[in-house]
Amino acid sequence: MGARMEPAYELFDHTADLGVRVTAATLPELVPPAVAGLYATLGHIVPQPAPAPADDFAFDATGDDPAVLLRDLLAELLHHFDTRRRVLMDIAVGEFSGVRLAVTGRLRPLDPEQSAPAREVKAVTYHALAVRPVAGGYEATFIVDI
Amino acid sequence: MSQKRPVPLERLDACRWRIPKSYQPGMRVDGLIYADDTLIADIQKDQAPAQVANVACLPGIVKHSLAMPDIHWGYGFCIGGVAATDPEEGGVISPGGVGYDINCGVRLIRTDLTRADIQPRIRELVDALFDTVPTGVGRGGQVKFGRADLRKLLAGGSRYVVNEGFGWHEDLAVTEAGGCLDRARPEYVSDRALERGADQCGTLGSGNHFLEVQVVEEVVDPAAAAAFGLAEGQITVMIHSGSRGLGYQVCEDALKDLRDVPKRYGIALPDRQLVCAPVHSNEGQRYLGAMQAAANFAWANRQIMTHLTRQVFARVFERPAEALGLHLVYDVAHNIAKLETYEVDGRRRTLCVHRKGATRAFPAGHPELPERYRPVGQPVLVPGDMGRSSWVLVGNPAALDETFGSCCHGAGRVMSRSAAIRAARGRSIHKELLARGVFARARERTGLDEEQPDAYKDVSLVAEAVHRAGLSRKVARLRPLGVIKG
Repeated sequence: MGARMEPAYELFDHTADLGVRVTAATLPELVPPAVAGLYATLGHIVPQPAPAPADDFAFDATGDDPAVLLRDLLAELLHHFDTRRRVLMDIAVGEFSGVRLAVTGRLRPLDPEQSAPAREVKAVTYHALAVRPVAGGYEATFIVDI
Repeated sequence: MSQKRPVPLERLDACRWRIPKSYQPGMRVDGLIYADDTLIADIQKDQAPAQVANVACLPGIVKHSLAMPDIHWGYGFCIGGVAATDPEEGGVISPGGVGYDINCGVRLIRTDLTRADIQPRIRELVDALFDTVPTGVGRGGQVKFGRADLRKLLAGGSRYVVNEGFGWHEDLAVTEAGGCLDRARPEYVSDRALERGADQCGTLGSGNHFLEVQVVEEVVDPAAAAAFGLAEGQITVMIHSGSRGLGYQVCEDALKDLRDVPKRYGIALPDRQLVCAPVHSNEGQRYLGAMQAAANFAWANRQIMTHLTRQVFARVFERPAEALGLHLVYDVAHNIAKLETYEVDGRRRTLCVHRKGATRAFPAGHPELPERYRPVGQPVLVPGDMGRSSWVLVGNPAALDETFGSCCHGAGRVMSRSAAIRAARGRSIHKELLARGVFARARERTGLDEEQPDAYKDVSLVAEAVHRAGLSRKVARLRPLGVIKG
């Protein structure tokens, strides 16, 4: 039996924009690296450490396409970042199945001293959007519009 | 997305390539790409031609699915795509045919200053512009609008902000649609979109958006240039920006709202990014109203930056902007869908014209042009990269006949952002630009690295292709002297 697939993300090129490829052993384990990948497209993003004030975050959506559910979560987080400079931490995935994604966490303010936002991301697009089984786990891809 | 067979491109002439509708089941019309031999080789490297074919499947599409020489792979529609649909024949409107940055566009301001006036003070001028016009990630504007005023701005566009003191009334006549689409429905713009754009009106943003101080380096068509108030050696300012976070969110909302709509109306699509709704449906009208409100926001955005630019010039040169001759030449949208009337197959039809990375290019005599440009045609503003040049073209009758009065919009990227950053390692793009005579300021180093000149096609090749195709003709080439970016 091979080593368990560790959750990870990598950025990949797309002509004018940036893509994120995420791998993990299970669907729920895809979520934290997908969130980290989204923040990586924005630049060097560091939240303020506790005891900085934080808001509770909860996302719970149903649908028939896990890729779209994941995209909707990321779009929600992009909105929080874009409007209030909040970064999701302490991510807990209650369920990520083919039909439901339930995530909770804490939204912490961006640490302006430690962070270096480099790009304005307009959106998490539907382009090349996918969640699919691969050997040893799952792979998700998404592309952000810059 | 399944792997498709190569898209057949049949040469029609030196600058026209046809994708026959037999290529793909569901294509209602042929695809038509405008490019010369040099550009078509690049175009074939990505999936843009397949996207041209996909767009040809949209219900109600008229004549052709069109693509300009600067096309590249986009979301659903390629960037550089044009499609007109007939609402009376089930024609649809698609947010993918507009893009996230609704009414991203360009405006050109001329001055009475010459290169000799500017050259000794270019750093001072660029620094002052950089300090005054908000640029970069997360930068809010100097001008704040409360929720109620923001809704008025969404309804009134440039007209609203000019009435509030941000610009001159003459600016409105030389802005496409007068800077205001009257089908805008601010009530269809979500609270989220309002929140995202609340402090962003009058800000440049980041990415490929810029403000450039330029010199008119070459005049190709002296009569048209004179009509636009342009002459060799003259200083101009070009502003490229759009509807900022508000527009992005309007598109995001629409793509979500319209997800199940094609199925509801029995519309089969080859790509889910082409989600759409019949123009006459409630869903279509909601998107049209919100999108046009976002378009008005974009015009107001560029109008406020014009006001700030005039203030900077007045401060640096210690003369009023009026005395410096800072008149707006024109403002064009290049990401938009509008209802426009054309004669097709011998009858007048009001069509929903999507231009995604394409510029309106009306010829002489068109009634929508301001009186002063009616004898020559509409200025078509085509920005290039920050090291080489940008072009002013003028619309030709062929554009009206073939492309629903549309033309190219820019250079088009040839290098990904990561590749551009890799290519910039060990170099200083800032110094390289200085060596070319361009003083650049950016909030982040990555801004210059990602947007370096080598990352783009040479816009002169694109301008040459539309000139040879007869869609527009070349008027003047502008060279950057100073640039601010996010």
